[in-house]
Amino acid sequence: MNTSYTVTPDESILVTGSNGFIGARVVETLLEYGFFNLRCFVRPSSRLENLKIILARHPGSKSVEVISGDLLSRENCRKAAQGISIAIHLAAGFDKSFAGAFMNSALATRNLIEAFLELGQPKRFVNVSSFAVYSNLKMERGALLDENSPLEDAPQERYDAYGFGKLKQEELVREYGQKRGLPYVIVRPGAVFGPGKADLSGRVGINTFGFFIHLGGSNELPLTYVDNCAEAIVLAALKPGVDGEIFNVVDDEKMTSREFLSACKSAKNFFSISVPFPLAYLGCQLWETYSRRSQGQLPPVFNRRRASAEWKGNHYSNEKLRTRLGWKPKVKMADAMKRFLSQSE
Amino acid sequence: MNTLRIAIIGCGKIADQHIAAIRRISNCEVVAACDREELMARQLAERFNIVSVFSDAQQMLKAAFPDVVHITTPPQGHFLLAKQCLEAGSHVYLEKPFTVTAAEAEELIALAEYKNLKITAGHNYQFAPEMVQMRRLVADGFLGGKPLHVESYWAYDLGDTSYVGPLLGSKTHWVRQLPGQLYHNLISHGIARLAEFLDKEISNITVLSHQSQKLKSLGGQEVQDELRVLIRDQSGTTAFFCFSTQIKPALNFFRICGAKNSIAVDFTGGDLICCDSKSYKSYLTYFIPPLKNARQHFWNGLSNIFNFLRGRLHQDFGMKELIERFYQSIRDKSAPPISYREIILTAKIMDEIFKQVYPPGAASPESSPFLKNEIRADHIGKERAIVLRQNA
Repeated sequence: MNTSYTVTPDESILVTGSNGFIGARVVETLLEYGFFNLRCFVRPSSRLENLKIILARHPGSKSVEVISGDLLSRENCRKAAQGISIAIHLAAGFDKSFAGAFMNSALATRNLIEAFLELGQPKRFVNVSSFAVYSNLKMERGALLDENSPLEDAPQERYDAYGFGKLKQEELVREYGQKRGLPYVIVRPGAVFGPGKADLSGRVGINTFGFFIHLGGSNELPLTYVDNCAEAIVLAALKPGVDGEIFNVVDDEKMTSREFLSACKSAKNFFSISVPFPLAYLGCQLWETYSRRSQGQLPPVFNRRRASAEWKGNHYSNEKLRTRLGWKPKVKMADAMKRFLSQSE
Repeated sequence: MNTLRIAIIGCGKIADQHIAAIRRISNCEVVAACDREELMARQLAERFNIVSVFSDAQQMLKAAFPDVVHITTPPQGHFLLAKQCLEAGSHVYLEKPFTVTAAEAEELIALAEYKNLKITAGHNYQFAPEMVQMRRLVADGFLGGKPLHVESYWAYDLGDTSYVGPLLGSKTHWVRQLPGQLYHNLISHGIARLAEFLDKEISNITVLSHQSQKLKSLGGQEVQDELRVLIRDQSGTTAFFCFSTQIKPALNFFRICGAKNSIAVDFTGGDLICCDSKSYKSYLTYFIPPLKNARQHFWNGLSNIFNFLRGRLHQDFGMKELIERFYQSIRDKSAPPISYREIILTAKIMDEIFKQVYPPGAASPESSPFLKNEIRADHIGKERAIVLRQNA
């Protein structure tokens, strides 16, 4: 046990979204670090399929408390935050509407933060965000995208409700940091992959029209294996001296979109066609123009902002994550891919 | 023509659709967004450049003085909010379901008439292009008189659990607090289609309802999701309503039958088929009618393509059409696009359905004030009694 953490094992840690793809691994990582005084917050409809497996693996997990509720309920948030020292906020809604995404991300976060500040012993609020908040529209192809890169300033034009929710969530967290002294850290994972999530990242391509359209070309992917990502989140919660900081999470070893797709196709054969970025960008531009001229007869699901964000291509760095949090990926890319692909076999 | 000042109360998911439709209508402007949760009002205002944001409806009415207020809150708030708006002198567009009970619907409509204001229900699918065409054919006498039978099928796919997940997970979810639960929030579009062609005096309503295995597997508890309803009005027109979360392909269908001809409307494919009663000799009856139907399907498909290319096939066509007609009725002081009789009858039929599906305590169906002339001896009456015993 490292004694220089922000909390001792006696103090309580809340994990929202703890039955989710990343959340369950965060719980497991905390248990591995010797933190058993955990409160796992799940949706009432959750069947706890991920969490049960994790808790069963760790004999010390008997003290782990599992409570269900809705973060849109202030009362439920108060129950979740009572006596908590660290809140790791992973819960996210995937509502397709902007209002729904805003509710699930921003409103839920506001409720949780207020309860945390009132009833907790706030030492750290870890807000798990996403790469969806970045905009590379005005960046060169292949430029470095890091924590200082510009944020999306027109999520409505990008037609990305999830990104909009995450942007507003981050705004709220920063506001509470400035005005109410919330000790926060924002973590932005790249494309998280691993067993339990079979879908390919949208950065590789889309499966919209009945077959897979590969749009990522030879772009570098901001991949992070789920266990590595979970460890980064846990370190963001435990390491002192990083309040107000933002951390991108990508693994050390890089893979291109083409390499990733090829590996997936070797495990599970499926048909795909490749479309080069300039052509994809042009198609998105035409779609966007038609959408505008037809006053939204076709919603602008394909547009230049999305094309840039997902398929233009950037380089990524985990320098800050390594130097400030002392993180290093515990699962190598070869092992990670093996575990990821094993679910398709 | 004066620009209509529009306000919206309730800035959740459906508010986006309202604003998108309003923006395609000339001479109107959304001037205020109001939500009890101010952050919700702010996010809507920010995305649609709405100048004023409020968290209190009374304050909004006083400060923005809108000509029309769209109320898009959960239905429990509809009655009081609409009343406030009418009392403040604003016309009201109420999202479906219009109110929680028929009594509330009647009171609101009476208030609107007293104040010389207009009110309408968000039954926007009534104004889908196919429904507009169907109504024109009926008005032209295609059916050969009053409708003898109407059928409405309305489906909801449980595959997208973003809607049912939260409500199944919480007994305090607003949908679970409605008398008709899941049905209450979903069936009014389908019922309104029937109400348009039924007399206001209904003699029989027979309800069959149960929970699907799928919903059960999702943890549905007492929520039911498979509903069949038989209705007969006093003049003998019958109606059938089917709501299903399970039937595939998902049905969104309407049929209206007359003494001479019938019309079938498939909303999913934007397809209207006129079924005439012409008879054909011998085997021609197997050849000609299917080919005639095929010709109609073909032309409907071409028409949809043509409308798409002209930018006139918006998926929310019905909503824009209803809002535009409502605004027009305000401007020229004509009748609103949905008759008050239809709104009240829809609410009354829904009241009766929910009473049979979720009987309040030991209340018997015979006590229903809505059923004016129940014929208990006939087959429908017996069926109903059986269903009620099963529910009990």
